[in-house]
Formats: sequence, C-alpha cells, structure tokens
Amino acid sequence: MKDMFKITMPLVAIFVVAGVIMVLTYQQTYPVRFQAEKTEKEEALKEMAPDATDPIKPAGTWAVNNKPYEYYQATASGKPVASIAETAGKGYSSYIKMLVSLGSDMKIKDVKVLDMNETPGLGDQVLEKGFLDQFKGKALSQIVLIKGETKENIQAVSGATYSSRGVTNGVKDAVQMLVEKYGAGVTAAAQEVTK
Amino acid sequence: MSNNVSLGTLFKNGVFGENPVFRLALSLCPAVAVTSGVYNGFLMGIAVLFVMTMTNVTVSLLRNFINPKVRIPSYVFITATWVTVIDLVMSAYQRGMYKQMGLYIQLIVAFAIILSRAEMFASKNKLLPSFVDGVGMGAGFTLSLMLLGFFREILGKGSIWGIDILHAKPLLIAIMPTGGFFAMGLVMGGLNFLDRRFFGGTGASSGGH
Repeated sequence: MKDMFKITMPLVAIFVVAGVIMVLTYQQTYPVRFQAEKTEKEEALKEMAPDATDPIKPAGTWAVNNKPYEYYQATASGKPVASIAETAGKGYSSYIKMLVSLGSDMKIKDVKVLDMNETPGLGDQVLEKGFLDQFKGKALSQIVLIKGETKENIQAVSGATYSSRGVTNGVKDAVQMLVEKYGAGVTAAAQEVTK
Repeated sequence: MSNNVSLGTLFKNGVFGENPVFRLALSLCPAVAVTSGVYNGFLMGIAVLFVMTMTNVTVSLLRNFINPKVRIPSYVFITATWVTVIDLVMSAYQRGMYKQMGLYIQLIVAFAIILSRAEMFASKNKLLPSFVDGVGMGAGFTLSLMLLGFFREILGKGSIWGIDILHAKPLLIAIMPTGGFFAMGLVMGGLNFLDRRFFGGTGASSGGH
C-alpha cells in the first residue's frame, strides 16, 4: 500500500505540473492565435477578390459534408464583382478546406487552400500552383478531374489522386452553390444563346 | 557512456556513431513517411531536435524524482507536454513556420527515438551531457532525413529542396511509400558498405544496443 503511494505520487505530480503548463500556455497563446487567424482570413478573402473596393461582407451560410460554411459577396463601389465561398472536400486523410471565388461571369477567379492534413510529400502536392491554377477561368461544367493530360478539365496530380479529388469536389460543390444563388442572369443568357 | 566523455564526442556520437536512423534504426516510420523531399526531412528533423533536447533536459533534471517503475509514462508525458507547448506557441507567434511544420509537430509524441534517448541517456546523465545528446541526436536525425529526402526527391521529382533540376521525374516510385523502404534499405546498406570499407567499422550492428 505504502509502495503504491510512493510509485504513483511522483507520476501524479508530473501529470499535474504538465497539465498546468499546458493550460497556461494555451491561455497565453489562444488570444494571439485567434487574432492571427482572423487577420489571415480577412487577408485571404481580400486576395480572392483583389478588385473589390468595399469590405467583403458575409452573405450567408451553406452546408457541405454536413458542416456549415460561409459565403461572401465582394463589391466595388456597390456593384458585385465576385462571390466567395468557403468549402471543403474529402481528401485522403483530411477535409481540405478552401476558398473559391467566382467572378460575375460565373467563372472561377481563384482557389485557395486554407487548411488540410494530407500526406506530406504526396497529398500536399495539390497545394502547388500548377494544380490550383488549372481552376482559374473554368466554368461549372468544366470542373471534372481527369487522370491524364487535359487543358479543358482538371488534371489530377500523380501520387495525389485522392487529394486532387478532394479539392475538385470541394470546388465543384462551392461553384454549384454560388451559381444557383447568383448565376440566374448568366445561365439564362447562356441558354438564350444555345437556343 | 560515462560522464567523462567530452561533449564534442557526445555530439559526434549522435550524428555518426549512433546515428538514430542508420545506426540505431529507430524512428524509421517517420523517416520513411516524410522524406519525400529534402525540405520536408529538414523541417521534421528540426522539430524533432527541439522536442528531443527539451525532453532530454527535463528527464535529466527529474531523473532522481521519477520512480523507475513508472518511468515510461513519465517520459511520454514529458514529451507530450513539450510537443503541445511548442505546437501552441508556434501556432500563435510563428504562423508562417507553423503552416509548414504544424503537420509534423504533433506526430513527434510517439517517436521511438525520443523515448529511447530519455531512457538510454538522459535518465542516467547530468543536465549538460543530456542537452548535448539531444542536440547531437537531433542533428543526426535531421541529416539522415535530409539524405534520404535527397535521394528520393531527385529520383521521384527531379528536384532538390523544391528546385527543379532534372526537369523530369526519372523514378516516380521513389517518393511513394514503397520507394521510402527501398531508399532506406539502399542508403543504409551503402553507408554500411562505406563504413566497412574505409573506416573499419562493422556496420549497423555496432550501434551499441
């Protein structure tokens, strides 16, 4: 009995001290991290719509993979120039969180990955400019992942097929949502032309 | 290892004599997992260097306090604490670096090499030698990962440190997990060969434990 006490007490002491250290660190760093993340988000939004002159305002929330995400309207002197949506797609080992911005012509302006936990060295290759730049200027119907050379669609990164699929699906869902919300004029015009 | 070994020898022991990856053959799992490029290996190595040094120092300071019967949970908890602290501090104050290294830091808790150095060295040695051992082993680990990353990146991506050199991908499998095992075996064998041939060593079996 006495022995048990002698063995466990130092262990308990270490656990308690370590716990206190972790809590204190968390308390100290939380406000700083919260602020940094907020500024980063604002900057990221601004990057998505560089031609917006007014502050980018949240326009509502939508759901993808059963999780709520926000979308935003970017305006320049009152006129809408772009709509931006937060979105996510299921990659190989994580949900890849992204921002997608759509011009008023309902074509993709930019795609930016915010957060992901894909395999270092393989899945994280989707972060490379070459892959993400493929989305620029594409319309909803073109967002299809292809395993091979393509100019019209999206070419998957070899060695990162699942992650490429995650990005593509996330982008596609976001574009579909934004087109349904804001694209009424554009789709109608397109249908007029094809008739 | 007794206390009269000079600190320089101790450092060199970590890098060469008991190199964590190629000699002790510990923490091979991360060594295969993240060495698809030189830069990844470097980041992982530096993160390990930090955590290992901190853990070694803490374990060395507490070595008379920790009951030998429960030493393993104590070491793991000390490592976990340092990993959490570094993770939190970095995510708040070093955002740029955290975005690159955040992935790797949390993995370190479970690394065999850190537990092994706490058990084999820090728990039996004074503060300063334990510190040097942590830095030396960390440096050895970093260099090993970079060496593996070098071979895998040049073969699999045709680049070094992210800079395209070959403008081709001669052997894509090198950056796949399978290629990691091949690279590990071949590099370890190559180093053993060099060691036997030119330095009179006996290969990885001379690791000491």
